[in-house]
Amino acid sequence: MNTQPEKIAIRIDHDKCTECRMCYVVCREINLNAVVIDPGPKHLHEIDMDRCTYPGCTVCLMYCPAPASIVETVSGLSLVPPPARVWTEDKRWPRRAPRTGN
Amino acid sequence: MNQPTRLPGAALAQELTEAGHADGAHTPFDLVLEAARRGELDEAAYYRLLGRLWVLKRLMYYVYGGWAQGLNVNEYPPSVDYLLSKQLYDDSTHEMVLVDEILRRGLAPTQRAVFRHPNGRFVIASRIGHFVFTLRALANYAHNIRMAALNLGAKLVELAWLERFAAQFPDPALRTLFDGLIAETASHVQMGRFVVERFVEKPVDQELCRRTAAIARRDYLAVLDEIGGQVLGVEEVTPTGHIEIPRGLD
Repeated sequence: MNTQPEKIAIRIDHDKCTECRMCYVVCREINLNAVVIDPGPKHLHEIDMDRCTYPGCTVCLMYCPAPASIVETVSGLSLVPPPARVWTEDKRWPRRAPRTGN
Repeated sequence: MNQPTRLPGAALAQELTEAGHADGAHTPFDLVLEAARRGELDEAAYYRLLGRLWVLKRLMYYVYGGWAQGLNVNEYPPSVDYLLSKQLYDDSTHEMVLVDEILRRGLAPTQRAVFRHPNGRFVIASRIGHFVFTLRALANYAHNIRMAALNLGAKLVELAWLERFAAQFPDPALRTLFDGLIAETASHVQMGRFVVERFVEKPVDQELCRRTAAIARRDYLAVLDEIGGQVLGVEEVTPTGHIEIPRGLD
């Protein structure tokens, strides 16, 4: 029996997404590259769950202009960005590990 | 443990956003919306509204060509190049959506006819002209500053009236049209935020952003005032070579 808990992750709801690709740009900007472009005919963007660090990072959500187009896979909840006043930098740009060695 | 990365322009982006929200809370277009809700706007008024907005959009994306040249000079990351081209594409689409609605309603037979009609004609001595030439002048600045000016300035005001029109405009087709413009306009605001947060760091650039964004908001509000007056029939669509620029405009 598999007791491994299902990984909390996010996916894109293409009915609501406008394909503006702000999520792609900002995810790439922070070197996670978890938003990938599907090679299919529509070139939709998807989230690579192996690279995505949600809920540690929510940078895509913070810049998404289309409300509720990012959905949490486990709960099925459509995520809506919090008000600007509660944004914190460590939630938005949590990526670069400190340099180690030599 | 991961280290949070400092966002140099985060506070400035927040400040500009709040200023944009404040200016967008009430615009001259509120009078247009109220008149429409009272049933005082006819098809001719809708033509003036769609036609003048079409002129504005058309001119806005003409400006981007000059901006793109400056983008190469400043060698911004590819993501910033991409965002500008996406914005150009969006505003070009918006311009087509507006003229399509004019044609669909039978207000003009062809796009060429709209170009020639006073409602669709660009007039240099107009507040649209003033706004567009001010934006064009921003090509002299770094891209982060002009993105701040347009996307965290005028676009925030545009988004505010669009949301009100999308929710309350009495004509269903126009309400749908305005609703359809919201997502991309919101995306442009987010682009502005991204560029300002990541690439506006020096105090001199931050001050330039404040100043240019304030000018863009003010000029854009002047455009809305002009178009609103034309839609309501209190101002001529085609001035005869003379334009009253509001006091205090640079």
